[in-house]
Amino acid sequence: MIEVEGLTKLYGEFVAVNELGFRVERGQVLGLVGPNGAGKTTSLRCLSGIIRPTCGTIRICGTDLVNNPVPAKRELAFFSDEPRLFDYLTVQQHLAFTARIYQVRDYETIGRQLLDELELSEKRDALPGELSRGMKQKLAIACGWLHNPKVIYFDEPLTGLDPMGIRRMKHSILKRAGEGAAIIISSHLLHLVEEICTHILILKNGRKIIHGTIGEITRQFSEQTDDTSLEEVFFRAAYAEGERRPKANGAEPPAARGAVPPTNP
Amino acid sequence: MLSALLYLQYHSFVNRAVRRVRRLKQPKYLFGAIVGGLYFYFYFGRFLFGFGSHRAGGMPAVRATDGNQVLIESAAALVLLVIVLLAWLLPRERAALVFSEAEVAFLFPAPISRRGLVHFRLIRSQLAVLLTSLILLALTRRWGGNLWFHALGWWAVISTLSLHGLGSSFARTMLLDRGITNRTRRLVILGVVAVAAATVFMWARRTVPAFSATSMEDGTALKRYAEQVLASGPLPCLLFPFRLVIRPFFATTLSAFLAAFGPTLAILLALYWWVIRSDVAFEEASVDASQKLAARLAAVRAGNWGATDKGMKPKRPPFRLHPTGPPAVALLWKHIISASKVFTGRLWLILAIGITCLCVCIGQMNPTGGLATVIGMLSGMALSWSLLVGPQILRQDFRQDLLLADVLKTYPIPPWQMALGELLGPVVILTAVDWLLVLVAGILLGQTRGLEMSGALVASIALGVAVVIPMLNLIVFQIPNAAALLFPAWFLATRSGPGGIEAMGQRLIFFIGQFLVLVLALVPAAVVFTGLFFLGKLFVSPAFIIPRAALGTAVVLGVEASFGMVLLGRLFSRFDVASEMTP
Repeated sequence: MIEVEGLTKLYGEFVAVNELGFRVERGQVLGLVGPNGAGKTTSLRCLSGIIRPTCGTIRICGTDLVNNPVPAKRELAFFSDEPRLFDYLTVQQHLAFTARIYQVRDYETIGRQLLDELELSEKRDALPGELSRGMKQKLAIACGWLHNPKVIYFDEPLTGLDPMGIRRMKHSILKRAGEGAAIIISSHLLHLVEEICTHILILKNGRKIIHGTIGEITRQFSEQTDDTSLEEVFFRAAYAEGERRPKANGAEPPAARGAVPPTNP
Repeated sequence: MLSALLYLQYHSFVNRAVRRVRRLKQPKYLFGAIVGGLYFYFYFGRFLFGFGSHRAGGMPAVRATDGNQVLIESAAALVLLVIVLLAWLLPRERAALVFSEAEVAFLFPAPISRRGLVHFRLIRSQLAVLLTSLILLALTRRWGGNLWFHALGWWAVISTLSLHGLGSSFARTMLLDRGITNRTRRLVILGVVAVAAATVFMWARRTVPAFSATSMEDGTALKRYAEQVLASGPLPCLLFPFRLVIRPFFATTLSAFLAAFGPTLAILLALYWWVIRSDVAFEEASVDASQKLAARLAAVRAGNWGATDKGMKPKRPPFRLHPTGPPAVALLWKHIISASKVFTGRLWLILAIGITCLCVCIGQMNPTGGLATVIGMLSGMALSWSLLVGPQILRQDFRQDLLLADVLKTYPIPPWQMALGELLGPVVILTAVDWLLVLVAGILLGQTRGLEMSGALVASIALGVAVVIPMLNLIVFQIPNAAALLFPAWFLATRSGPGGIEAMGQRLIFFIGQFLVLVLALVPAAVVFTGLFFLGKLFVSPAFIIPRAALGTAVVLGVEASFGMVLLGRLFSRFDVASEMTP
């Protein structure tokens, strides 16, 4: 469903993402983790067609996203950490607008079901300014689910949600995966990743440090102990090498200068 | 405690100024500062600093001579009275001192008395008072007068209004706390105003000789009547405190100024005492007001001016959006909703019919021209101006959506369609407005007998203009959108960055650049129109050829607009949200 080969993104001389390659199949949930500035958000933006990669190939359901973006984008949905809504469109108008963009013929039925499911039915005529943070998140999700995407990206999906919202979000992600969607979640919340992801990809300085199923990665970094948590694995994998992000001309990136890597807890 | 607040105020001001000076290292701010500085100098500065020609030039000096001093002072005092009355009549909210969210977070939990917070607010308001005084001084200096008297005069007026605004908000809140509702307060004030107005009216009717409308052709009779009403009877008593506030501004000698400034200072001190002695709980309302201010600022910085509208309500869509069809229409639909609830097809139809009927009536009543010609000409001028002003007012396009670009970029829409959809909203609105103007000009000028053009020729020109306008508007809107996508940092700096002279200069540079590009884009269309017109004129009448030449011109403009859409789409698809959005 998602095939990435040699994905590289340069900002001038600065290498944000470096030769990234992986696959996510139907029903798989990939957790994209890494320290701040690792290139997670840039990778997700490339994968969703928001920004063009400098080089590399991204295929969504077999369609090249860079060369053939329209059909590829029809299959995906991207949820940013902050719900991005149009201030002047009501909940119902958001659904009508999204339906036209994605050509969803029976959007009224689907939209009604989604609003019921997300408990937004009573707010169908409200503007985003009248909604709480959680409700805005729900509206963004309703718009994203409307066209039944096969590929879904989440950037920090639990930000700002209350405990009930977190439970619902996790349930929703697992349900979509169960229905065959390929999902990528970028998050700092390792317990979330451990709980709902089937695969992990750890990025650091724009490069893939490790990629595999949770079991494989845990075994690789367990050091003969059975109770190694993903958090421990993450610190061992991400901070073991003390490596620095490469630049096209070999110079140090601004963010890396003077940066002190955290100590291994 | 006050020293800490002064420290905060002083360093905030200095740091802001230093940051502005430092950013002049960037060419976009430096050029902006130079252009803005020149504009400011030529428009205001040379008068402000005495290099201008207000003495020798055409602007008459406004000096309160004996003859007109009473009239000018009283008229200004009357304006002040109205402003003061409005401060008691209009507001509904409880007293709220507007702080920034950071100030609320630091100062409200700190061991600072309510009076200390009021003092902080007063000190901070002096910055705004000084700036406003400077702007008003720059505006009024071109009419002459003493620089320092005017500067201190404006300061006194603005400070008085500022202090009164604060004091009246406290007083209103105290009244609310004592069970006197806004409605009761307004009724009482309106009652007092009505009694005062009736007294003045009755007195004037009995005492001052009446004048007829025919005797006021040169305004002298009206002026004499106003002088009598303002200088004698009950009105001078009512206006006396307000004249005291105004008087320093009109002083012509140092002694007169000092004599006038003493009572003004006394009024200011009395107002200060009133504000400081008021013990009103304003904290809760202030927190609420600060949050609203922060939200409005965030919306403005995001380029979303519509969201700053306090009363934003859901708007009825202009038409039913079907789930299938060109996706660009969805963007048009979205932008018309964001523009206003008035943009519905039915409303435009009603407007067109109403305007047609009105114009026919005006034309019938003025067959030889006069009012009809003036309105017709004004409509034509407004049409020309709309090409320049329209894109500055209607911004429901990429410029509004730029900070939501990452959302738009996930949509499965070809880039050129995205560009078309983004631009269609304002183009449709401006075209509708322009067509109404063409209708007005066409009907009124077409009926006028005194014109050298026949009615048929006027109708032909109107039709030609109407044909060209949609394509022209498409190009007109492409230019600022392309500029915003090509130079987003510049664009955002002009939209959301801190204001100042450099931001003003940047806006000017943008405006001039857009004008030049528009002129360049119009050259091929103008060449085609001229060629078709003169060629056709050899065989048929001008009235026959103009709409056809206009059609050819519209085709040329359409081709240009198509290339523009492709280019704009490419610009948007290459637009990198992450790297471009930092001004």
